[in-house]
Amino acid sequence: MTTDTVTVTGLRAVYGTGTRRVTALDGVTTSFASGTFTAVMGPSGSGKSTLLHCAAGLDRPTEGSVTIDGTRLDDLDEDELTRLRRDRIGFVFQAFNLVSTLTAAQNVELPSRLARRRPPAGDVTAALDAVGLADRAGHRPSELSGGEQQRVAVARALITRPAVVFADEPTGALDSASSRQVLRLLRALVDDHGQTVVMVTHDPAAAAYADRVLLLADGRVVDELTGGITAAAVAARIAEREIVAESSC
Amino acid sequence: MLSVRRSASAFVAVAIGVTLVAAATLLLASGRPQVPDRLARAAVVVQSPEAGASADQFVPTRPWSATAAAGLVGRLSGLPDVVAAVPDRTFYAQPLVDGRPSAADSGREDAHQGHGWSSAQLGGLRLTAGEPPRRAGEVVVDRALGLRVGAPVTVLTAVGPEPYTVTGLVDGPGVHVADEVAAALAPGVRAIGLVLAPGADPERVAMAARGVVGGDGRVLTGAARGVLEPPGDARTRWIGMQVLTATAALAGFVTVFVVSSTFAFTLAQRRRELGLLRAVGATGRQVRRMVGAEALAVGASAGLVGLLLGAALAPVLGRLLVDVGYEPSTFRVRYELWPVAVSLAAGPVIAVLAVWSASRRAARVRPLEALREAAVEQRPIGRLRAATGTLLLATGVALSVGTATADEARVAAQYALYAVMALVAGATVLAPVVVGPLVRLLRSPVRRPGGAIGMLVRGGALTATRRTAAIAAPVLLTVAFAVLVSGMVRTTSAAYAAGRADNVNAGWIVVPDRAPGLSDRAVAATGGTALLPTTVYRTDPATPPKDRPLTALGVEPEGFAAANRVLTVVAGSLDDLTGADTVVVTASANLLPSEPYPVVFADGTSVSLRVVAVVTDTSIPGDLLVPRAVVRAHDPSALTSTVYVRDRIDPPVGARILDVPAWAAEADAAEDRLIWLFTLLLIGVSAGYGAIAVANTLLLAAAGRAADLRLIRMAGATRRQVIWLVTAESALVVLIGALLGGAVAFVGLLSVRAGLAEQVGAPVDLMVPWPVVAGVVGLCLLLAVLSSVLPTWRLLRHRPARSPVGG
Ligand SMILES: Nc1ncnc2c1ncn2[C@@H]1O[C@H](COP(=O)(O)OP(=O)(O)OP(=O)(O)O)[C@@H](O)[C@H]1O
Ligand SMILES: [Mg+2]
Repeated sequence: MTTDTVTVTGLRAVYGTGTRRVTALDGVTTSFASGTFTAVMGPSGSGKSTLLHCAAGLDRPTEGSVTIDGTRLDDLDEDELTRLRRDRIGFVFQAFNLVSTLTAAQNVELPSRLARRRPPAGDVTAALDAVGLADRAGHRPSELSGGEQQRVAVARALITRPAVVFADEPTGALDSASSRQVLRLLRALVDDHGQTVVMVTHDPAAAAYADRVLLLADGRVVDELTGGITAAAVAARIAEREIVAESSC
Repeated sequence: MLSVRRSASAFVAVAIGVTLVAAATLLLASGRPQVPDRLARAAVVVQSPEAGASADQFVPTRPWSATAAAGLVGRLSGLPDVVAAVPDRTFYAQPLVDGRPSAADSGREDAHQGHGWSSAQLGGLRLTAGEPPRRAGEVVVDRALGLRVGAPVTVLTAVGPEPYTVTGLVDGPGVHVADEVAAALAPGVRAIGLVLAPGADPERVAMAARGVVGGDGRVLTGAARGVLEPPGDARTRWIGMQVLTATAALAGFVTVFVVSSTFAFTLAQRRRELGLLRAVGATGRQVRRMVGAEALAVGASAGLVGLLLGAALAPVLGRLLVDVGYEPSTFRVRYELWPVAVSLAAGPVIAVLAVWSASRRAARVRPLEALREAAVEQRPIGRLRAATGTLLLATGVALSVGTATADEARVAAQYALYAVMALVAGATVLAPVVVGPLVRLLRSPVRRPGGAIGMLVRGGALTATRRTAAIAAPVLLTVAFAVLVSGMVRTTSAAYAAGRADNVNAGWIVVPDRAPGLSDRAVAATGGTALLPTTVYRTDPATPPKDRPLTALGVEPEGFAAANRVLTVVAGSLDDLTGADTVVVTASANLLPSEPYPVVFADGTSVSLRVVAVVTDTSIPGDLLVPRAVVRAHDPSALTSTVYVRDRIDPPVGARILDVPAWAAEADAAEDRLIWLFTLLLIGVSAGYGAIAVANTLLLAAAGRAADLRLIRMAGATRRQVIWLVTAESALVVLIGALLGGAVAFVGLLSVRAGLAEQVGAPVDLMVPWPVVAGVVGLCLLLAVLSSVLPTWRLLRHRPARSPVGG
């Protein structure tokens, strides 16, 4: 049961040179077991997005390796990496998730189309239905609200049944009702389809939907919570860490 | 992925380009020589042997002598199915109405040509009144002149005004005289027309005629007889062809240029979307193919529209070309297949070429760019781009120098065009490197409108140098073309005029007025030194090409030497130019005095001349000098082109008098006028197109800036401030483009000047037509400000937060 979908070992990501040198990740080793929902948290600039990008093969780390579904990413060339993303990975970003010239349905079927497969029309409708947007299939992103756009992105992550879905602050720009809807959908991916979800968030309430919370600071994993995660528990743990950080300065 | 709104600007750019290409190629294909009406009834025409290659392609063929022609006529009229073989003689004869050449006729070459009466049957001319001319002093004229049968008429010939009596009228231009009179005025024959029996097959007769003629001429039938059109028409047509080819080439270039910057720009604005596509699984190849397919679709549809527009425009332009003098009056637009095919292909080809480099860049967009800010700054330019730009600039400078040193003005104009293209392309490729430093230089004037705006304008231009350069590119193109082309033409003609004036040592100059040349009597009346040019053919078998045409000037040696300041005798003496077989050659002929120099004269007779002196090449405005009497003896129709006189005199009939500077300035006035019109046409094409491109890119840019501007507004900027910001931004971009374009043009002009100074042997003034420059920059500025302020103003009517976000 505890096979790992994503494993990262010794990840270091360094940007810039000289005085403008920034170490975004400073030796991160962790793994995301299949069929689990992980929330990544931490102060701004702690390297959460960088971790997500490296783990998803959107960016190459300076050091360390990433394995997704048994495939080591460092061995892949750009095209192989693209194909892997298309088939095994889904994305939900904070904003700008959809191609503005395509309708919701077209956005959903985009990854399959790129892989030269035409998804059965029923699948697209089912995916949109699952996110509660079956009646908005023909609408373009400019005609959808922020929350609806996020849900279309989730539907897109649903349809190819990727092994892992990465979400970077998917609810960052949403009100609490829309947030709950999106989070429930992500949760359903794990519960109903056995997919793996890794989500970056600042919101302890959002983190409460996860099975596990990873706390990052200064590019390192500094803490981890598992089992019985509640918003209050997460908030308490973060506050604790901040006190420790402040007193140590 | 195709969006109508987004493709609109590329569509417009391609459509306009293809319209120009289609119109130009349709006109180009229509410009075919016409069989002159005068020879319409001669199904087969035998033409005398072609002259060998020369700098001027519009020399007449080498004539047969009177005896050779008579022999040929005799043998040709004996062929089966030939009713008559008529030697066609053409000479100068211009009827005077009320003592002056008829104003209506001055533009038509065939209005002042005379022929033997028997030639009339070749064109099927019939008398509408009176009788044919039978003896000297009798003439048949065009009914349009308004003369009556029996009326006296003065006809200007090469000798002078001659009294004639009108014996008959015809419906056609020119005058007809008795055949013997024609034979005396034009002893050499250049064409023999065959009138065939009804029902005869021209090709069969032509075959037989070829057997008779052998290598001593060409037998022509059908449309091939078009080569017999008057040389003046052929020349006009040739100039028209040059103009059209250059316009088509320029249109193609400008289109690729503008369309590629439009594509580059649209794709730069779509980086985030491309990044998203890459993130969800599009490979680089797929992105590239998608972009290419979009371009193809836009190109094909825009090409179709352009073709239709071009086809509709062609007749209008054709009429314009005739009016201006780029095409003879016989010009008609014909819809041939190849221009249609070329224009149909042009759209997609242009689009695919134009999108090529942009699509490579699009394929390299990294998935992460979906998550970052849209205006990511890259290195200003890559190494390949730097190398390409440098190479293009170097080519451009080399071509500019070539322009300045080319012998013929029209060749130079062609070179100039390619030079400008290379310079402009090079400058555009390298522009992003210069934008940064330039913006920093321009800092102080921009800062004045107010701290925040100056900061924003400068910040925008600096962080997105590629974007700034892309918007500035059409301005650069427009300004560089306008300044360089017009400056080059002005500088060149001024330099030549100065050179001409310096060469002449005379007070006044008499030139023909509404006539092709001056008669002997007019020359005698002036008492000056005359130049009597004629074409001779060098027949020396040792110096190919065979029958090389040369311009021989008939002169009086002392008078000529006195009026010519640059005459430099290398060997022999000009005083020996007196005998009927004497000739003065230029140094490039590589001959020494007393060497033989065999030529064929205009009457078809071969004469072995003897070199008596050698002068430098630049000494004389021709190839040879011969005694004036020798030219007159062999070419009874030769006309004097120029007479140098010491003091002002009253000009004789058909002449005008000018002082030397005025003459120098107008010597090539007709040609200069055509070249200047040509220049304006090219500037019009590039400036018009460039201006559209400026508007196009700025409209696109405005759409892309919507989110930014909304932010600035929310940060507390008033509407006025935002409008100011946008105005300042577009003015800055136009300024950058104009400065870069001006710099490019200046480099080109300096090399032109250097080359010219060497050629003329004197310092040359740089002439820049400032009105043209100001007009072009002003136009760009106006369009730029309008096309960025208007969309911004519309945007600002909404409340800052409420407009839809265009991802
Ligand atoms: N492309 C880049 N170039 C330079 N520095 C970068 C780049 N990407 C990230 N960084 C730096 O790396 C550090 C970690 O960035 P990252 O985006 O991972 O933070 P984060 O934890 O996601 O922050 P936030 O919660 O604000 O999104 C930051 O200091 C950031 O400035
Ligand atoms: Mg982040």
